[in-house]
Amino acid sequence: MIALTAVSKRYGPKTVIHDLSFTVEKGEIVGLLGPNGSGKTTTIRMIAGYTTATSGHVSVAGYDMATQNDTAAHLIGYLPEHPPLYDTLDVSTYLRFVAKVKRVPRAARSAELERVTVACRLGAVFRQEIYKLSKGYRQRVGLAQALLGKPEVLLLDEPTIGLDPEQLHETRELIRAFGTEHAVLLSTHILPEATLLCQRVAILNHGRLLAMDTPGGLQRALEQTHRVILRVTAPAQALRQELLSVAGVQTVQIDTAAGTDQTLSVSCQVDTRDGVEAAIARAIAPRWLLHRLERQQPTLEQVFLHYVQQASAAEEGA
Amino acid sequence: MSAALALYQKELWVYFRSPIAYFVVAVFLLGTGYFFTYNIFLTGHATMTETLQNMGILLLLVLPVLSMRLFAGEYSAGTIELLLTLPLQPWQIVLGKYLGALTILLLLTVGTLVNLVPLYLFGNPETMTILSGYIGFLLLGMACLAVGQFFSALTHNQIIAALSTVAVLLGFWFIGHLQSFQTSPVLRGLCGYVSFSGHFGAFVQGVVRTEAVVFYLVVCAIALTLNTNYLQWQR
Repeated sequence: MIALTAVSKRYGPKTVIHDLSFTVEKGEIVGLLGPNGSGKTTTIRMIAGYTTATSGHVSVAGYDMATQNDTAAHLIGYLPEHPPLYDTLDVSTYLRFVAKVKRVPRAARSAELERVTVACRLGAVFRQEIYKLSKGYRQRVGLAQALLGKPEVLLLDEPTIGLDPEQLHETRELIRAFGTEHAVLLSTHILPEATLLCQRVAILNHGRLLAMDTPGGLQRALEQTHRVILRVTAPAQALRQELLSVAGVQTVQIDTAAGTDQTLSVSCQVDTRDGVEAAIARAIAPRWLLHRLERQQPTLEQVFLHYVQQASAAEEGA
Repeated sequence: MSAALALYQKELWVYFRSPIAYFVVAVFLLGTGYFFTYNIFLTGHATMTETLQNMGILLLLVLPVLSMRLFAGEYSAGTIELLLTLPLQPWQIVLGKYLGALTILLLLTVGTLVNLVPLYLFGNPETMTILSGYIGFLLLGMACLAVGQFFSALTHNQIIAALSTVAVLLGFWFIGHLQSFQTSPVLRGLCGYVSFSGHFGAFVQGVVRTEAVVFYLVVCAIALTLNTNYLQWQR
Protein backbone atom coordinates (compact mmCIF):
# COMPACT_ATOMS: atom_id res chain seq x y z
CA MET A 1 0.00 0.00 0.00
CA ILE A 2 2.80 2.38 0.93
CA ALA A 3 6.10 2.20 -0.91
CA LEU A 4 9.13 4.46 -0.52
CA THR A 5 11.98 3.98 -2.99
CA ALA A 6 15.31 5.73 -2.43
CA VAL A 7 13.60 8.80 -0.98
CA SER A 8 15.65 11.83 0.03
CA LYS A 9 14.44 15.18 1.30
CA ARG A 10 16.51 18.34 1.46
CA TYR A 11 15.58 21.67 3.02
CA GLY A 12 18.09 24.07 1.50
CA PRO A 13 21.57 22.66 2.11
CA LYS A 14 20.34 20.37 4.90
CA THR A 15 19.42 16.79 4.03
CA VAL A 16 16.86 15.50 6.52
CA ILE A 17 16.07 12.16 4.86
CA HIS A 18 18.77 10.05 3.22
CA ASP A 19 17.96 7.37 0.69
CA LEU A 20 15.01 5.88 2.58
CA SER A 21 13.24 2.78 1.24
CA PHE A 22 10.57 0.64 2.85
CA THR A 23 7.07 -0.67 2.26
CA VAL A 24 3.93 -1.12 4.32
CA GLU A 25 1.48 -3.78 3.19
CA LYS A 26 -2.25 -4.06 3.74
CA GLY A 27 -3.10 -5.59 7.11
CA GLU A 28 0.18 -4.52 8.60
CA ILE A 29 1.14 -2.03 11.30
CA VAL A 30 4.60 -0.59 10.83
CA GLY A 31 6.27 1.66 13.36
CA LEU A 32 8.74 4.44 12.70
CA LEU A 33 10.93 4.59 15.75
CA GLY A 34 13.44 7.34 16.32
CA PRO A 35 14.47 10.18 18.60
CA ASN A 36 13.28 13.74 18.01
CA GLY A 37 14.66 15.16 14.79
CA SER A 38 15.28 11.76 13.22
CA GLY A 39 12.99 12.45 10.26
CA LYS A 40 9.84 10.60 11.35
CA THR A 41 7.51 13.55 10.80
CA THR A 42 9.07 14.47 7.45
CA THR A 43 8.71 10.86 6.28
CA ILE A 44 5.03 10.74 7.24
CA ARG A 45 4.41 14.16 5.67
CA MET A 46 5.85 12.96 2.38
CA ILE A 47 3.58 9.92 2.41
CA ALA A 48 0.58 12.10 3.31
CA GLY A 49 1.36 14.36 0.36
CA TYR A 50 1.89 17.46 2.51
CA THR A 51 5.40 17.83 1.18
CA THR A 52 7.23 16.20 -1.72
CA ALA A 53 10.45 14.21 -1.80
CA THR A 54 13.51 15.96 -3.29
CA SER A 55 14.47 12.71 -4.99
CA GLY A 56 13.14 9.18 -5.03
CA HIS A 57 9.60 7.95 -5.24
CA VAL A 58 6.75 7.84 -2.71
CA SER A 59 3.61 5.93 -3.68
CA VAL A 60 0.37 5.10 -1.89
CA ALA A 61 -1.83 2.37 -3.40
CA GLY A 62 0.14 2.80 -6.62
CA TYR A 63 -0.41 6.57 -6.86
CA ASP A 64 2.66 8.77 -7.07
CA MET A 65 2.38 11.22 -4.16
CA ALA A 66 4.33 13.89 -6.03
CA THR A 67 1.81 14.18 -8.86
CA GLN A 68 -1.32 12.18 -7.99
CA ASN A 69 -1.70 13.21 -4.35
CA ASP A 70 -5.22 14.58 -4.97
CA THR A 71 -6.44 11.14 -6.05
CA ALA A 72 -4.57 9.29 -3.33
CA ALA A 73 -5.82 11.70 -0.62
CA HIS A 74 -9.17 9.82 -0.61
CA LEU A 75 -7.37 6.70 0.57
CA ILE A 76 -5.35 8.29 3.36
CA GLY A 77 -6.29 9.10 6.93
CA TYR A 78 -3.67 11.32 8.51
CA LEU A 79 -3.13 12.45 12.08
CA PRO A 80 -0.32 15.04 12.14
CA GLU A 81 1.96 15.51 15.14
CA HIS A 82 -0.20 18.39 16.39
CA PRO A 83 -3.88 17.51 15.87
CA PRO A 84 -5.15 19.93 13.20
CA LEU A 85 -8.21 21.35 14.96
CA TYR A 86 -10.29 24.51 14.60
CA ASP A 87 -10.57 25.70 18.18
CA THR A 88 -13.75 27.73 17.75
CA LEU A 89 -15.75 24.90 16.16
CA ASP A 90 -17.46 22.23 18.20
CA VAL A 91 -16.43 18.61 17.74
CA SER A 92 -19.49 17.64 15.68
CA THR A 93 -19.17 20.59 13.28
CA TYR A 94 -15.49 19.87 12.82
CA LEU A 95 -15.97 16.17 12.11
CA ARG A 96 -18.89 16.92 9.78
CA PHE A 97 -16.66 19.32 7.83
CA VAL A 98 -13.94 16.69 7.41
CA ALA A 99 -16.53 14.06 6.43
CA LYS A 100 -17.92 16.38 3.75
CA VAL A 101 -14.50 17.11 2.31
CA LYS A 102 -13.74 13.39 2.31
CA ARG A 103 -16.99 12.99 0.33
CA VAL A 104 -18.73 10.68 2.76
CA PRO A 105 -22.21 10.49 1.16
CA ARG A 106 -24.84 12.63 2.89
CA ALA A 107 -26.98 9.60 3.78
CA ALA A 108 -24.07 7.80 5.45
CA ARG A 109 -22.57 10.86 7.14
CA SER A 110 -24.36 10.67 10.48
CA ALA A 111 -23.65 6.95 10.81
CA GLU A 112 -20.00 7.52 9.97
CA LEU A 113 -19.74 10.30 12.56
CA GLU A 114 -21.37 8.00 15.09
CA ARG A 115 -18.88 5.25 14.26
CA VAL A 116 -15.75 7.35 14.85
CA THR A 117 -17.29 9.06 17.87
CA VAL A 118 -17.86 5.70 19.52
CA ALA A 119 -14.48 4.33 18.42
CA CYS A 120 -12.62 7.34 19.85
CA ARG A 121 -14.98 7.73 22.85
CA LEU A 122 -15.91 11.30 22.07
CA GLY A 123 -19.59 11.03 22.99
CA ALA A 124 -19.19 13.17 26.11
CA VAL A 125 -17.66 16.13 24.24
CA PHE A 126 -19.48 15.82 20.91
CA ARG A 127 -21.18 19.23 21.25
CA GLN A 128 -18.30 21.04 22.97
CA GLU A 129 -16.07 23.65 21.41
CA ILE A 130 -12.65 22.24 20.70
CA TYR A 131 -10.73 24.92 22.63
CA LYS A 132 -12.36 23.64 25.84
CA LEU A 133 -11.02 20.10 25.40
CA SER A 134 -8.14 18.50 27.29
CA LYS A 135 -5.04 17.37 25.46
CA GLY A 136 -6.17 13.74 25.48
CA TYR A 137 -9.53 14.63 23.93
CA ARG A 138 -7.87 16.85 21.32
CA GLN A 139 -5.66 13.94 20.34
CA ARG A 140 -8.70 11.70 20.02
CA VAL A 141 -10.63 14.23 17.92
CA GLY A 142 -7.59 14.30 15.65
CA LEU A 143 -7.65 10.50 15.47
CA ALA A 144 -11.41 10.48 14.77
CA GLN A 145 -10.83 12.89 11.90
CA ALA A 146 -8.22 10.53 10.43
CA LEU A 147 -10.55 7.52 10.72
CA LEU A 148 -13.45 9.26 8.93
CA GLY A 149 -14.29 7.80 5.53
CA LYS A 150 -12.63 4.44 6.31
CA PRO A 151 -9.28 5.18 4.64
CA GLU A 152 -7.14 2.35 3.25
CA VAL A 153 -3.99 3.83 4.72
CA LEU A 154 -3.65 5.34 8.16
CA LEU A 155 -0.71 7.61 8.96
CA LEU A 156 -0.33 8.49 12.63
CA ASP A 157 2.37 10.83 13.86
CA GLU A 158 2.90 10.14 17.58
CA PRO A 159 -0.74 9.08 18.09
CA THR A 160 -0.56 8.36 21.82
CA ILE A 161 1.08 11.56 23.05
CA GLY A 162 -0.89 13.23 25.83
CA LEU A 163 -3.10 10.22 26.60
CA ASP A 164 -3.50 8.81 30.10
CA PRO A 165 -2.82 5.07 30.66
CA GLU A 166 -6.44 4.00 30.15
CA GLN A 167 -6.86 6.06 26.98
CA LEU A 168 -3.48 4.78 25.84
CA HIS A 169 -4.69 1.22 26.09
CA GLU A 170 -7.95 1.99 24.26
CA THR A 171 -6.19 3.88 21.49
CA ARG A 172 -3.71 1.06 20.98
CA GLU A 173 -6.57 -1.43 20.74
CA LEU A 174 -8.27 0.83 18.21
CA ILE A 175 -5.13 1.07 16.06
CA ARG A 176 -4.56 -2.67 16.34
CA ALA A 177 -8.12 -3.42 15.20
CA PHE A 178 -7.77 -1.00 12.31
CA GLY A 179 -4.43 -2.52 11.33
CA THR A 180 -5.90 -5.95 10.64
CA GLU A 181 -7.59 -4.75 7.46
CA HIS A 182 -5.66 -1.61 6.52
CA ALA A 183 -2.12 -0.39 6.21
CA VAL A 184 -1.00 1.59 9.26
CA LEU A 185 2.21 3.56 9.65
CA LEU A 186 2.77 5.19 13.01
CA SER A 187 5.70 7.07 14.43
CA THR A 188 6.75 6.98 18.02
CA HIS A 189 9.72 7.58 20.25
CA ILE A 190 8.35 5.25 22.92
CA LEU A 191 9.99 1.83 22.76
CA PRO A 192 7.26 -0.36 24.27
CA GLU A 193 4.70 1.16 21.94
CA ALA A 194 6.65 0.02 18.90
CA THR A 195 7.13 -3.49 20.28
CA LEU A 196 3.49 -3.79 21.45
CA LEU A 197 1.68 -2.55 18.37
CA CYS A 198 3.77 -3.09 15.29
CA GLN A 199 4.52 -6.10 13.14
CA ARG A 200 7.66 -4.40 11.88
CA VAL A 201 9.63 -1.45 13.15
CA ALA A 202 11.73 0.90 11.03
CA ILE A 203 14.44 2.48 13.12
CA LEU A 204 15.39 5.95 11.96
CA ASN A 205 18.31 8.05 13.08
CA HIS A 206 19.41 11.35 11.52
CA GLY A 207 17.16 10.65 8.54
CA ARG A 208 18.68 7.26 7.78
CA LEU A 209 17.06 3.85 8.11
CA LEU A 210 19.25 2.06 10.66
CA ALA A 211 17.31 -1.16 10.59
CA MET A 212 13.97 -2.68 9.72
CA ASP A 213 13.30 -5.16 12.47
CA THR A 214 10.53 -7.23 14.01
CA PRO A 215 9.43 -6.57 17.60
CA GLY A 216 11.25 -9.83 18.45
CA GLY A 217 14.49 -8.46 17.04
CA LEU A 218 13.93 -5.19 18.86
CA GLN A 219 13.28 -7.13 22.04
CA ARG A 220 16.60 -8.93 21.64
CA ALA A 221 18.32 -5.60 21.12
CA LEU A 222 16.67 -4.37 24.28
CA GLU A 223 17.86 -7.40 26.20
CA GLN A 224 21.43 -6.70 25.28
CA THR A 225 21.19 -3.28 26.80
CA HIS A 226 19.96 -4.20 30.29
CA ARG A 227 22.15 -2.87 33.02
CA VAL A 228 22.52 -3.17 36.76
CA ILE A 229 23.93 -0.19 38.63
CA LEU A 230 25.73 -0.70 41.93
CA ARG A 231 27.43 1.30 44.65
CA VAL A 232 29.69 -0.82 46.75
CA THR A 233 32.49 -0.24 49.26
CA ALA A 234 35.04 -2.77 48.03
CA PRO A 235 38.47 -3.13 46.38
CA ALA A 236 37.98 -2.68 42.61
CA GLN A 237 39.87 -5.72 41.35
CA ALA A 238 38.26 -8.25 43.70
CA LEU A 239 34.82 -6.77 43.03
CA ARG A 240 35.25 -7.07 39.28
CA GLN A 241 36.23 -10.73 39.54
CA GLU A 242 33.38 -11.51 41.88
CA LEU A 243 30.81 -9.81 39.61
CA LEU A 244 32.06 -11.54 36.47
CA SER A 245 31.68 -14.90 38.18
CA VAL A 246 27.93 -14.29 38.66
CA ALA A 247 25.90 -16.07 35.95
CA GLY A 248 24.23 -13.52 33.65
CA VAL A 249 26.74 -10.68 34.07
CA GLN A 250 28.38 -9.93 30.75
CA THR A 251 30.61 -6.91 31.28
CA VAL A 252 31.59 -4.84 34.30
CA GLN A 253 32.48 -1.18 34.20
CA ILE A 254 33.91 0.44 37.30
CA ASP A 255 33.90 4.20 37.51
CA THR A 256 36.70 4.96 39.95
CA ALA A 257 36.51 8.73 39.54
CA ALA A 258 32.96 8.87 40.90
CA GLY A 259 33.83 6.81 43.97
CA THR A 260 35.03 8.20 47.29
CA ASP A 261 37.42 6.26 49.51
CA GLN A 262 36.64 2.68 48.67
CA THR A 263 33.06 3.26 47.49
CA LEU A 264 32.82 2.39 43.78
CA SER A 265 30.19 3.08 41.16
CA VAL A 266 29.72 0.01 39.02
CA SER A 267 27.68 -0.60 35.91
CA CYS A 268 27.20 -4.19 34.72
CA GLN A 269 25.75 -5.27 31.44
CA VAL A 270 23.53 -8.24 32.13
CA ASP A 271 21.19 -10.51 30.24
CA THR A 272 17.48 -10.52 30.92
CA ARG A 273 17.15 -13.68 33.00
CA ASP A 274 15.24 -13.09 36.20
CA GLY A 275 17.16 -12.89 39.41
CA VAL A 276 20.44 -11.48 38.13
CA GLU A 277 20.15 -8.67 40.64
CA ALA A 278 19.48 -11.16 43.44
CA ALA A 279 22.49 -13.26 42.41
CA ILE A 280 24.70 -10.16 42.42
CA ALA A 281 23.39 -9.16 45.82
CA ARG A 282 24.04 -12.65 47.20
CA ALA A 283 27.59 -12.59 45.87
CA ILE A 284 28.47 -9.15 47.23
CA ALA A 285 26.53 -8.64 50.44
CA PRO A 286 28.39 -11.18 52.65
CA ARG A 287 31.81 -9.69 51.81
CA TRP A 288 31.34 -5.96 51.21
CA LEU A 289 28.99 -3.12 52.03
CA LEU A 290 26.34 -2.74 49.28
CA HIS A 291 24.83 0.79 49.21
CA ARG A 292 22.69 0.60 46.14
CA LEU A 293 21.58 -1.94 43.57
CA GLU A 294 19.28 -0.97 40.73
CA ARG A 295 18.22 -2.52 37.47
CA GLN A 296 18.09 0.07 34.71
CA GLN A 297 15.48 -0.03 31.96
CA PRO A 298 17.10 0.27 28.55
CA THR A 299 16.63 3.69 26.98
CA LEU A 300 16.00 4.46 23.36
CA GLU A 301 19.52 5.90 23.11
CA GLN A 302 21.05 2.61 24.20
CA VAL A 303 19.00 0.69 21.67
CA PHE A 304 20.07 3.13 18.98
CA LEU A 305 23.66 2.73 19.98
CA HIS A 306 23.22 -1.00 19.63
CA TYR A 307 21.86 -0.66 16.08
CA VAL A 308 24.48 1.93 15.13
CA GLN A 309 27.24 -0.38 16.35
CA GLN A 310 25.67 -3.28 14.48
CA ALA A 311 25.47 -1.21 11.29
CA SER A 312 29.10 -0.06 11.51
CA ALA A 313 30.24 -3.60 12.29
CA ALA A 314 28.40 -4.84 9.21
CA GLU A 315 30.08 -2.12 7.15
CA GLU A 316 33.53 -3.09 8.38
CA GLY A 317 32.80 -6.72 7.63
CA ALA A 318 31.77 -5.88 4.08
CA MET B 1 -16.89 21.35 -5.97
CA SER B 2 -18.72 19.92 -2.95
CA ALA B 3 -15.40 19.87 -1.09
CA ALA B 4 -14.90 23.59 -1.81
CA LEU B 5 -18.45 24.18 -0.62
CA ALA B 6 -17.74 22.33 2.63
CA LEU B 7 -14.68 24.53 3.14
CA TYR B 8 -16.79 27.62 2.42
CA GLN B 9 -19.26 26.58 5.13
CA LYS B 10 -16.39 25.92 7.53
CA GLU B 11 -15.04 29.42 6.83
CA LEU B 12 -18.39 30.96 7.70
CA TRP B 13 -18.58 28.90 10.91
CA VAL B 14 -15.12 30.09 11.92
CA TYR B 15 -15.97 33.71 11.11
CA PHE B 16 -19.18 33.69 13.09
CA ARG B 17 -17.72 31.86 16.07
CA SER B 18 -14.90 34.35 16.55
CA PRO B 19 -15.34 38.05 17.35
CA ILE B 20 -13.35 39.20 14.29
CA ALA B 21 -16.22 39.28 11.79
CA TYR B 22 -18.55 41.05 14.22
CA PHE B 23 -15.83 43.53 15.08
CA VAL B 24 -15.04 44.32 11.44
CA VAL B 25 -18.70 44.74 10.48
CA ALA B 26 -19.40 46.88 13.56
CA VAL B 27 -16.42 49.18 13.01
CA PHE B 28 -17.25 49.56 9.35
CA LEU B 29 -20.91 50.34 9.94
CA LEU B 30 -20.08 52.84 12.70
CA GLY B 31 -17.57 54.56 10.43
CA THR B 32 -19.99 54.62 7.52
CA GLY B 33 -22.73 56.01 9.74
CA TYR B 34 -20.45 58.77 10.91
CA PHE B 35 -19.39 59.72 7.36
CA PHE B 36 -22.98 59.59 6.15
CA THR B 37 -24.26 61.90 8.88
CA TYR B 38 -21.32 64.26 8.43
CA ASN B 39 -21.66 64.49 4.64
CA ILE B 40 -25.44 64.87 4.55
CA PHE B 41 -25.65 67.57 7.22
CA LEU B 42 -22.59 69.40 5.90
CA THR B 43 -23.67 69.56 2.25
CA GLY B 44 -27.43 69.32 2.60
CA HIS B 45 -27.50 67.30 -0.63
CA ALA B 46 -29.25 63.94 -0.77
CA THR B 47 -26.30 62.11 -2.28
CA MET B 48 -24.14 59.09 -1.40
CA THR B 49 -21.14 60.24 -3.48
CA GLU B 50 -18.93 61.54 -0.66
CA THR B 51 -20.02 58.81 1.72
CA LEU B 52 -19.17 56.07 -0.81
CA GLN B 53 -15.79 57.71 -1.41
CA ASN B 54 -15.11 57.58 2.34
CA MET B 55 -16.42 54.01 2.53
CA GLY B 56 -13.86 53.03 -0.10
CA ILE B 57 -10.87 54.11 1.96
CA LEU B 58 -12.40 52.72 5.15
CA LEU B 59 -12.75 49.39 3.35
CA LEU B 60 -9.02 49.43 2.58
CA LEU B 61 -8.22 49.70 6.28
CA VAL B 62 -10.81 47.26 7.57
CA LEU B 63 -10.81 44.35 5.09
CA PRO B 64 -7.21 43.28 5.84
CA VAL B 65 -8.41 42.47 9.36
CA LEU B 66 -10.93 40.13 7.77
CA SER B 67 -8.47 38.54 5.37
CA MET B 68 -5.46 38.24 7.68
CA ARG B 69 -6.53 34.96 9.28
CA LEU B 70 -7.45 33.20 6.02
CA PHE B 71 -4.12 31.39 5.63
CA ALA B 72 -1.91 32.78 8.43
CA GLY B 73 -4.45 31.41 10.93
CA GLU B 74 -4.35 27.96 9.29
CA TYR B 75 -0.55 27.97 9.40
CA SER B 76 -0.31 28.89 13.06
CA ALA B 77 -3.02 26.41 14.13
CA GLY B 78 -1.38 23.65 12.05
CA THR B 79 -4.68 23.07 10.24
CA ILE B 80 -3.07 23.83 6.87
CA GLU B 81 -1.61 20.32 7.16
CA LEU B 82 -5.17 19.00 7.28
CA LEU B 83 -6.37 21.09 4.32
CA LEU B 84 -3.41 20.18 2.12
CA THR B 85 -3.71 16.44 2.83
CA LEU B 86 -7.50 16.19 2.51
CA PRO B 87 -8.93 15.49 -0.96
CA LEU B 88 -8.91 19.21 -1.78
CA GLN B 89 -7.13 20.82 -4.73
CA PRO B 90 -5.25 24.04 -3.97
CA TRP B 91 -7.65 26.05 -6.13
CA GLN B 92 -10.58 24.66 -4.13
CA ILE B 93 -8.96 25.79 -0.90
CA VAL B 94 -8.32 29.27 -2.32
CA LEU B 95 -11.83 29.56 -3.74
CA GLY B 96 -13.64 28.22 -0.67
CA LYS B 97 -11.80 30.63 1.60
CA TYR B 98 -12.26 33.57 -0.76
CA LEU B 99 -15.99 33.00 -1.05
CA GLY B 100 -16.25 32.81 2.74
CA ALA B 101 -14.60 36.21 3.16
CA LEU B 102 -16.66 37.59 0.28
CA THR B 103 -19.85 36.60 2.09
CA ILE B 104 -18.82 38.76 5.06
CA LEU B 105 -18.15 41.62 2.62
CA LEU B 106 -21.66 41.19 1.21
CA LEU B 107 -23.20 41.26 4.68
CA LEU B 108 -21.22 44.38 5.47
CA THR B 109 -22.44 46.01 2.24
CA VAL B 110 -26.04 45.12 2.97
CA GLY B 111 -25.58 46.69 6.40
CA THR B 112 -24.67 50.06 4.87
CA LEU B 113 -27.92 50.11 2.89
CA VAL B 114 -29.65 51.30 6.05
CA ASN B 115 -28.24 54.77 5.24
CA LEU B 116 -30.40 54.87 2.13
CA VAL B 117 -33.62 54.82 4.16
CA PRO B 118 -33.42 58.45 5.39
CA LEU B 119 -31.95 59.47 2.05
CA TYR B 120 -35.02 58.26 0.17
CA LEU B 121 -37.43 59.38 2.91
CA PHE B 122 -36.30 62.99 3.02
CA GLY B 123 -34.59 63.53 -0.31
CA ASN B 124 -34.63 62.60 -3.94
CA PRO B 125 -31.31 60.83 -4.65
CA GLU B 126 -30.16 59.51 -8.02
CA THR B 127 -30.70 55.77 -7.86
CA MET B 128 -28.44 54.91 -10.80
CA THR B 129 -25.48 56.82 -9.29
CA ILE B 130 -25.92 55.02 -5.97
CA LEU B 131 -26.19 51.67 -7.75
CA SER B 132 -23.03 52.33 -9.76
CA GLY B 133 -21.23 53.42 -6.57
CA TYR B 134 -22.19 50.18 -4.84
CA ILE B 135 -21.02 48.11 -7.82
CA GLY B 136 -17.66 49.86 -7.57
CA PHE B 137 -17.64 49.35 -3.81
CA LEU B 138 -18.14 45.60 -4.16
CA LEU B 139 -15.54 45.28 -6.91
CA LEU B 140 -13.04 47.23 -4.81
CA GLY B 141 -13.79 44.99 -1.84
CA MET B 142 -13.34 41.85 -3.95
CA ALA B 143 -9.93 43.05 -5.11
CA CYS B 144 -8.88 44.00 -1.55
CA LEU B 145 -9.89 40.59 -0.19
CA ALA B 146 -8.04 38.73 -2.95
CA VAL B 147 -4.88 40.75 -2.29
CA GLY B 148 -5.32 40.27 1.48
CA GLN B 149 -5.80 36.53 1.10
CA PHE B 150 -2.62 36.25 -0.98
CA PHE B 151 -0.59 38.17 1.60
CA SER B 152 -2.08 36.03 4.35
CA ALA B 153 -0.68 32.95 2.58
CA LEU B 154 2.83 34.40 2.68
CA THR B 155 3.24 34.58 6.46
CA HIS B 156 2.41 32.68 9.63
CA ASN B 157 1.78 35.92 11.49
CA GLN B 158 -1.71 37.41 11.13
CA ILE B 159 -0.61 40.89 12.18
CA ILE B 160 2.12 40.95 9.52
CA ALA B 161 -0.40 39.70 6.97
CA ALA B 162 -2.80 42.55 7.86
CA LEU B 163 -0.13 45.26 7.95
CA SER B 164 1.46 44.27 4.64
CA THR B 165 -1.98 44.12 3.01
CA VAL B 166 -2.86 47.61 4.28
CA ALA B 167 0.48 48.93 3.03
CA VAL B 168 0.02 47.46 -0.44
CA LEU B 169 -3.62 48.54 -0.72
CA LEU B 170 -2.84 52.10 0.38
CA GLY B 171 -0.01 52.14 -2.15
CA PHE B 172 -2.39 51.20 -4.94
CA TRP B 173 -4.96 53.70 -3.64
CA PHE B 174 -2.64 56.69 -3.68
CA ILE B 175 -0.45 55.73 -6.63
CA GLY B 176 -2.62 57.94 -8.85
CA HIS B 177 -1.15 61.00 -7.14
CA LEU B 178 2.26 60.11 -8.59
CA GLN B 179 0.91 60.82 -12.05
CA SER B 180 1.71 64.54 -11.85
CA PHE B 181 5.38 63.76 -11.03
CA GLN B 182 5.94 61.58 -14.11
CA THR B 183 7.47 63.04 -17.26
CA SER B 184 7.18 59.83 -19.25
CA PRO B 185 3.67 59.43 -20.69
CA VAL B 186 3.92 55.64 -20.31
CA LEU B 187 4.61 55.87 -16.57
CA ARG B 188 1.93 58.51 -16.17
CA GLY B 189 -0.59 56.24 -17.91
CA LEU B 190 0.50 53.27 -15.82
CA CYS B 191 0.16 55.15 -12.51
CA GLY B 192 -3.32 56.18 -13.54
CA TYR B 193 -4.33 52.73 -14.70
CA VAL B 194 -3.27 50.77 -11.61
CA SER B 195 -4.79 53.34 -9.24
CA PHE B 196 -7.53 51.72 -7.11
CA SER B 197 -8.97 55.14 -6.25
CA GLY B 198 -9.05 56.32 -9.88
CA HIS B 199 -11.28 53.47 -11.01
CA PHE B 200 -13.37 53.65 -7.86
CA GLY B 201 -13.90 57.42 -8.31
CA ALA B 202 -15.55 56.82 -11.66
CA PHE B 203 -18.04 54.35 -10.15
CA VAL B 204 -18.89 56.76 -7.35
CA GLN B 205 -19.59 59.50 -9.89
CA GLY B 206 -22.09 57.16 -11.56
CA VAL B 207 -19.93 55.92 -14.44
CA VAL B 208 -19.65 52.15 -14.83
CA ARG B 209 -16.74 51.65 -17.23
CA THR B 210 -15.94 48.20 -18.63
CA GLU B 211 -12.26 49.04 -18.23
CA ALA B 212 -12.69 49.61 -14.48
CA VAL B 213 -14.77 46.44 -13.99
CA VAL B 214 -12.17 44.41 -15.88
CA PHE B 215 -9.38 46.06 -13.88
CA TYR B 216 -10.74 44.93 -10.52
CA LEU B 217 -11.58 41.44 -11.81
CA VAL B 218 -8.07 41.08 -13.22
CA VAL B 219 -6.59 42.10 -9.85
CA CYS B 220 -8.72 39.38 -8.18
CA ALA B 221 -7.69 36.80 -10.77
CA ILE B 222 -3.98 37.61 -10.45
CA ALA B 223 -4.01 37.56 -6.64
CA LEU B 224 -5.99 34.30 -6.42
CA THR B 225 -3.84 32.60 -9.07
CA LEU B 226 -0.68 33.63 -7.25
CA ASN B 227 -2.25 32.33 -4.06
CA THR B 228 -3.02 28.93 -5.64
CA ASN B 229 0.42 28.63 -7.20
CA TYR B 230 2.06 29.57 -3.92
CA LEU B 231 0.23 26.75 -2.10
CA GLN B 232 1.29 24.32 -4.81
CA TRP B 233 4.87 25.55 -4.78
CA GLN B 234 5.15 25.26 -1.00
CA ARG B 235 4.92 21.46 -1.20
